[in-house]
Amino acid sequence: MEMTIMGQKELQERVHRAQLCTGCGACVNLCPYQVFYQDQTIVLDACDIKEGRCFAFCPRTPADLEAMRRRFFAPGDLTPEIGAVKGYLIARAADAAIRTGAQHGGTVSALMALALAEGLIDTAIVAEGADRFLQQGVAVGDGAEVLKRGKSKFITAATVAAFNRAAKGPAGAIGVVATPCQVFALAKMRMKPLPERDNNIDKLKLVIGLFCGWALDWRKFTALLAARTALEDITGMDIPQGRRLVVIYTRNGALEIPWDEVAPIAREACGVCVDTTAEFADLSVGSARIGETWETTRTWNQVIVRTEAGQALIDLARRKGVLEFREPPAGVLDELKAAARDKKKASLEKIIARTGNPEDLIYVDRRDPVIRAILD
Amino acid sequence: MSKLIDPREGVRVLLMGNEAIVRGALEAGVNVAAGYPGTPSSEIVQNLADVAGERNLYVEWSVNEKVAMEVAAAASFAKLRSLCAMKQNGVNVASDFLLHLTAAGTRGGMVLVACDDPGALSSVNEGESRHFARMVEVPLLEPGDFQEAKDMTKWAFELSEEIRNLVVLRSVTRMSHASGNVTLGRLSDAQPKAEFKYDGFILDPLEGPVVSAPVPYKHTLQQEKLKRVREIFEGSPFNTYAGPEKPDLLVVTSSACTLYSREAIHVLGVKDRVGLLKLGTTWPLPPELLKRHLASTDRVLIVEEVIPFLEENVKILAAETALEIGAKTFFGKNDGTLPSIGELNPDLVAAAIAKILGIDHVAMPPDYEKKATLMSFAKAPNRELTFCPGCPHRASFWAIHHALLMDNRLGFVCGDIGCYSMAALPCGFSTLKTLHAMGSGAGVASGFGQLHRFGMEQPAMTVCGDSTFFASVMPALVNAIHHRADLTVVVLDNSGTAMTGFQPHPGLKVNAMGGDVPALDIARICAAMGAKVEVRDPFQLEEARGTLIGLLEEKGVKVLIMRQMCALSPEKRAKKKYEVQVDEALCLGETCGCNRLCTRVFRCPGLVWDKERKKARVDEVLCAGCGVCALICPAEAIRKEEVA
Repeated sequence: MEMTIMGQKELQERVHRAQLCTGCGACVNLCPYQVFYQDQTIVLDACDIKEGRCFAFCPRTPADLEAMRRRFFAPGDLTPEIGAVKGYLIARAADAAIRTGAQHGGTVSALMALALAEGLIDTAIVAEGADRFLQQGVAVGDGAEVLKRGKSKFITAATVAAFNRAAKGPAGAIGVVATPCQVFALAKMRMKPLPERDNNIDKLKLVIGLFCGWALDWRKFTALLAARTALEDITGMDIPQGRRLVVIYTRNGALEIPWDEVAPIAREACGVCVDTTAEFADLSVGSARIGETWETTRTWNQVIVRTEAGQALIDLARRKGVLEFREPPAGVLDELKAAARDKKKASLEKIIARTGNPEDLIYVDRRDPVIRAILD
Repeated sequence: MSKLIDPREGVRVLLMGNEAIVRGALEAGVNVAAGYPGTPSSEIVQNLADVAGERNLYVEWSVNEKVAMEVAAAASFAKLRSLCAMKQNGVNVASDFLLHLTAAGTRGGMVLVACDDPGALSSVNEGESRHFARMVEVPLLEPGDFQEAKDMTKWAFELSEEIRNLVVLRSVTRMSHASGNVTLGRLSDAQPKAEFKYDGFILDPLEGPVVSAPVPYKHTLQQEKLKRVREIFEGSPFNTYAGPEKPDLLVVTSSACTLYSREAIHVLGVKDRVGLLKLGTTWPLPPELLKRHLASTDRVLIVEEVIPFLEENVKILAAETALEIGAKTFFGKNDGTLPSIGELNPDLVAAAIAKILGIDHVAMPPDYEKKATLMSFAKAPNRELTFCPGCPHRASFWAIHHALLMDNRLGFVCGDIGCYSMAALPCGFSTLKTLHAMGSGAGVASGFGQLHRFGMEQPAMTVCGDSTFFASVMPALVNAIHHRADLTVVVLDNSGTAMTGFQPHPGLKVNAMGGDVPALDIARICAAMGAKVEVRDPFQLEEARGTLIGLLEEKGVKVLIMRQMCALSPEKRAKKKYEVQVDEALCLGETCGCNRLCTRVFRCPGLVWDKERKKARVDEVLCAGCGVCALICPAEAIRKEEVA
């Protein structure tokens, strides 16, 4: 696979038109040519620069995964299924109020608030809900602001676009809460592929990744929801452990939408994603799978510690009593690995079905040992 | 005092063709004139409006050409002399009324001046108005020089009164817009009183009702009149012949082509071999005159622009009289001796004559054109068709283009005629995807707005100018609203009929003669029709774009009025709102992060790319000071400062 950096034209051909754009926002706010609107990256005008940051940073253009792993992680920590694992924890925010405002255990909110409070970062980039379930990345400087934005709506927020904007401004140390594709884009930025045109990536001090299976197409999702309930009555949504459905919490009770209806409206780009655990983050957090009732389980998170910086933050949280922990049930990490591996395999098979060539994995490097281990 | 009302008879003055037509009308004592602006016709109505006070005329820029012809017709019905002027496309607009008018007949002398634009120099198509004369069975005159433009116009009124029907005078761009010497005649001092008589016998042409019924009688009468016209034309001084008694080749021509043909014969030095029959009365053709000249030769070349109208009419006559005049070989557009499209010129005519006569003639050295092309690429600055510096359309299309992309449903814009037609080009970010007649953008978009029932998901949008809105968009808008089309209409309201020279329209408080008139409010009209209406300033790019995106998502007919005066408007001209400068230290130039957005994409002519310094620069002379470029610069390198 060719690792050449190209320009906007190729980005548009190979990513946007090929329906591979994840809407991460990496190509937005670097220049005037791309914007993020609703849940789509839009190319406004043509740029003819041969090597663009847009192409270089995009999580759907080729990358040397091995070089990136070497750069960010201790070799002994690497696993083929879920990337580097320095530690694996079941955790949640100690403060019940934080958990109530969060999707699950409030671990991410608590950690980001802590990082801000302790001055590890001065700016946190998080997603917030906007009009009609649209999501947008915002920069906040205060832990209380982070805690207000803990819920998921399954719609992409151009978090990296918000990082790009914040990095141009007075922010000195930035932390980002991001989905796997966004984490991957940030990691590509950290590799500084076009050093002559800096985007202040050194300001990035902390990346907390979110587990992610897919994001939904906003237009289709709102149409699906609007057919069942008034949109303004919706208070939250979730994917309960072990059940093939999406639950929509409304003021008038919970609605269940069978998975078979939701799956077809996932973003096309998500179907070919090989990373569910945000492998290039400092810490990755997802909903816990601890085999208890959903009411209990949903108040916990599982956490993968990947880097020294991630470990330091967890240690700090433990010292400060910001998080509480419980022992991971036996075999749960292996289940996570198996699930992540299955998704990688399914995505690779979808890619091959697209290209019709088992050697052409579009943006994924066929020679990468992790990929080879799955396919060969 | 305008030279057009110079009272001195016999004085020679330099007049533009359109001015000569105006002088002819004034000498004929025209009382009422109406028209709709359109190149190359616009100076006629404006020049009449300018002397309306001194000459006691009523002159108006009507809402469209059909209404202009109706307004002029009313004057004729009241026994005044009237003129209406329009470009060729305008005659198409007026043509519905034209057939009714000519079938019913006129009273006071009435002249339609139709200005064609061969080669489409200022048009989006190459149309032809002469066949309307044949279609509606009225006389057609074509001046062959500037003196004739005046004299023929004056005579056209007399002819109209003789046959009690409309007379069409056809000009072309090179006749209307070129200038030549004209010897002035006497200005009319007639002061007729307007009165419309209608109580007479139904068949009375002067005192009965003005109707085309009974059709068999009226139609027959009209054709009788045309026979009378043919007789008059036989002796017309506007038909002339120069050349030998028995020419090797007879050139038959009219209009500006007379000048080209005369020059071609001179250049080739063939005046002893080639005869030039110049016709000023081209419909109906005077048959005896034609027969006489056709009989004198075996070969005939017809020189004319646009469609082979004269050529076909001459051939019909030759066929009808073949036994008398003998077989002829015809050359012209049909056989490819002359190009079938575009303007002619002396070189093209000379080449045609030389080819027919077997003369070795090279109009220009063979490599001249190649050299000229090379030179123009190498030496001439690259100038593309574009909007003026500070043009509100550039800002509007920036917002429209981006709004459609952000909407992300492959929406498109249907357009029509105005400066904004250029939005089909890169200067308008190639935003227009259909381009047709005035008002057609709205009509076509109204149709697209119904296709959702066939699975079309693309939103339809249309743009129109403020003058066009009144001229012909309103019926399409009514149609769209009534039939519940989904459609976004953008009215590019730049406060005037900008493209043709700021003629007033019903949205303004002034009329052609400078008088106070009530202005009609486009926003209120649209709201009264039932459309959702927003008004924005296109120079507020983000706001305009945001509004447009919101409107695109809504069902039904939505109207966004982009209100910002034309950069060249008399009120705005030379007054900069902002001083604009580029801070070179901040300008990113060609690097990733900008890549010359202002000079490569936005491309206002007021912005210049300095190749040596690799920085953008504001050309202070060209810059109109609108400040819009400061809003698009990603590096905030373009600074604007309000001029005190």
